[in-house]
Amino acid sequence: MTVMEQLQAEPKNLWKRIVLFLVLLAVVAWGSDSITYNGIAQQGSVVASGIIHGITHPNLELLFNLTDAGVPYLILQTIAIAILGTIFGAILAIPISFLASTNIVPKWIAYIFRSLILLIRTIPSMVWALVWIRVTGPGAFCGVVTQSVCSIGMISKMYITAIEDLDTGILESLDAAGCNTFEKIRVGILPQLSASFISTAIYRFDINLKDATTLGIVGAGGIGSPLVQSITYSRWSNVGSFLWALIILVLIIEYISTRIRNRLARGHR
Amino acid sequence: MPRAETKKVPLFDRVFKPEHIVLENGNSVDRPRSRMPLILICLIAVIIISLKMTGFDFNVIIRRAKELTVILGQIFRPNFGYFPNIVKPLIETVKMSIIGTIAGCAIGLPLSIFASSNINHNKPTMLVIRFILSVMRSVPTLIYASVLALVFGLGTFAGTLAITVFTVGIVAKMLYESIETIDMKPYEAMISFGASTLQAFWTACMPQILPTYIDDCLYCFELNIRASSILGYVGAGGLGVLIRERTGLRAYNDLGMVLLILFTVVLVIDLVNDHIRSKIM
Amino acid sequence: MIEFKDVSKTYPNGTKGLQHVNLEIEQGEFVAIIGLSGAGKSTLIRTINRMIDITDGQLLVDGTDVMTLKGKDLRRFRRKIGMIFQSFNLVSRASVIKNVLSSNVPDMPWYKVLFGVYSKEQKIHALEALDKVNILNKAYHRCDELSGGQMQRVALARTLAQNPSIILADEPVASLDPIMADIVMSDFAKINKEMNISILLNIHHVDLALKYATRVIGVRAGQIVYDGPASQVTQDVLDQVYNGKAVPKSTDIRTEAEAEA
Repeated sequence: MTVMEQLQAEPKNLWKRIVLFLVLLAVVAWGSDSITYNGIAQQGSVVASGIIHGITHPNLELLFNLTDAGVPYLILQTIAIAILGTIFGAILAIPISFLASTNIVPKWIAYIFRSLILLIRTIPSMVWALVWIRVTGPGAFCGVVTQSVCSIGMISKMYITAIEDLDTGILESLDAAGCNTFEKIRVGILPQLSASFISTAIYRFDINLKDATTLGIVGAGGIGSPLVQSITYSRWSNVGSFLWALIILVLIIEYISTRIRNRLARGHR
Repeated sequence: MPRAETKKVPLFDRVFKPEHIVLENGNSVDRPRSRMPLILICLIAVIIISLKMTGFDFNVIIRRAKELTVILGQIFRPNFGYFPNIVKPLIETVKMSIIGTIAGCAIGLPLSIFASSNINHNKPTMLVIRFILSVMRSVPTLIYASVLALVFGLGTFAGTLAITVFTVGIVAKMLYESIETIDMKPYEAMISFGASTLQAFWTACMPQILPTYIDDCLYCFELNIRASSILGYVGAGGLGVLIRERTGLRAYNDLGMVLLILFTVVLVIDLVNDHIRSKIM
Repeated sequence: MIEFKDVSKTYPNGTKGLQHVNLEIEQGEFVAIIGLSGAGKSTLIRTINRMIDITDGQLLVDGTDVMTLKGKDLRRFRRKIGMIFQSFNLVSRASVIKNVLSSNVPDMPWYKVLFGVYSKEQKIHALEALDKVNILNKAYHRCDELSGGQMQRVALARTLAQNPSIILADEPVASLDPIMADIVMSDFAKINKEMNISILLNIHHVDLALKYATRVIGVRAGQIVYDGPASQVTQDVLDQVYNGKAVPKSTDIRTEAEAEA
């Protein structure tokens, strides 16, 4: 084989790349009218300078106000919503995800529960909140219920992966040791799943914390509703304090949850 | 291991002394006390406080469950006749997510290079970029959208911008985490024969992270479709406008149709993405 | 020509990598550097293309003071020095020819780098380099499909494609089995003779070093303890280099045999 022969033999994928590039270009061209810039809105520059002023000059009184309109209480309430939403969601997800795992139940049952999970996942959490608000009335309670339901979707999806990865060899050895079903679940299955289940729940807690703010917009409690109200009524220094509190809260929680999940992954107590 | 002995004893083990077990043959072993009871007590306390704080009341759910079934009942009987009204906002939503995702992923890539500790050896710039990325991620898309809608006027421009900002934060984080796990040896080789940092990164590292990068972009696209569908709630265009309007009017059959369409679109996109993933992996 | 003038390297943690090294290496020499792990072999090799900065003394390569180079000049200087690594350092997901072509990247405009487009001449040049190390038929295979020996030859081809005047090799055969190691070493010898490229390599296999190299440098604790022709390396020299520790049996026999011859 000579060099020139090999040069001829080069696999040609230039066309494939050009086509791919053109497709991408076409998609961008089609979508680009979503970014037609219509200039800044009438009050736009005022809003922009207002928000910058608000962030640099947050309302300190609000930041250290200890009543239930102050930032500390709202932050705690947001955390409380996320905690309860996550815990309820994580518990509700356990039976659902076992019933949706193909290695536990027959395939057709698993697919019924999988479509249920998909349904929960697809409906945006805000829509869930709008539905639940008719039951619970506006407030933090609505946030908890909404997050409990919404969390089921993603948590179950990750639980199922963990369940389907179960090492069933252990169950055989426990069978051989004469264990009954309960003992098999306690000794053979739980230790395998608990770390990844807890890790999933903590991960979801992160998401719920951010989501709780979004839910506040439709009136489901937490720091979201006063934040959006302040935006609507142009109280920029209040917006500044809420945003600072929110950012710091999320950064701290993200840091802690990453550390805990890393420890769980390494198998530390 | 001399290091292990000098290691600081955690506070917990100093308060609750480890159980000292002496075996029959005289060997001994320290069994640290389980942290489980303490964790459980804290958890229960936190739950009780949270229940108080949020005004959680299970009875209300039982008592008023009928409301839920009525609304859900209407949602699950979608009004198919409403479909023509959905098309335009649906296209808006899809466009916002496509452009937002592409722009966000394009901006996120260079940022992630400068946020990776193994490529950028200038620690201050690395930490500053990481911090900015965290801040970008910590504000929900909807808040961005509500502010941007006030600045740029109602419509898709604000929504697209909000999605872009959020995507940058999330894609850059996922990317720098995967960049930090790649094999740096080809990079070292390229540096050894005279390539600059960016040349070496692009030629030696990019082929390694390309599949992950595409996967991350697709994941963001899935997230963004869901996120952009509600942005209209604060006036940033797309399906959210309808969601707000229809729930306000209690026209839950129409809402059901909107959700059905959204569900279908998400499903199709997930399937297409899974197909692309199976091709590139 | 490579000149070390009283070169020392102290790492930030206080470890002494090199101490007062004086060396002169002519163009076209085949130098094997032997010594224990941690003796400073890698440091010695890597200071030449400034992958490691020296802390004292002067290091001249073809009359250029290496420590004065910065940014673009340093990168241009590195173009004429090839480097081979123990673990090959190839992009395993990319094809063989893409890896060889990557040696052109430093000279290419950014948009060509961005899209990874190479000219026909570059491709022919890369294929010729692959031909020189007898691996032309694998040009369009992915690197992770190759064996260790084949990968090291791809790395060698990548280095040849940049037309270096010096090749530095940091433990090039340490990850290979004995037969492959011998083949790769003979490739080095062939390149050294046919193309008059200086070759400096670190090696643990004393027998291979003596078989192929023309000059041997023994390093111990950052100092040069032997510097001379391969034919004059005796057991005493090895004892000194390896700090009196026993050298593996097979090497003993070969060394004695060659010393007698």
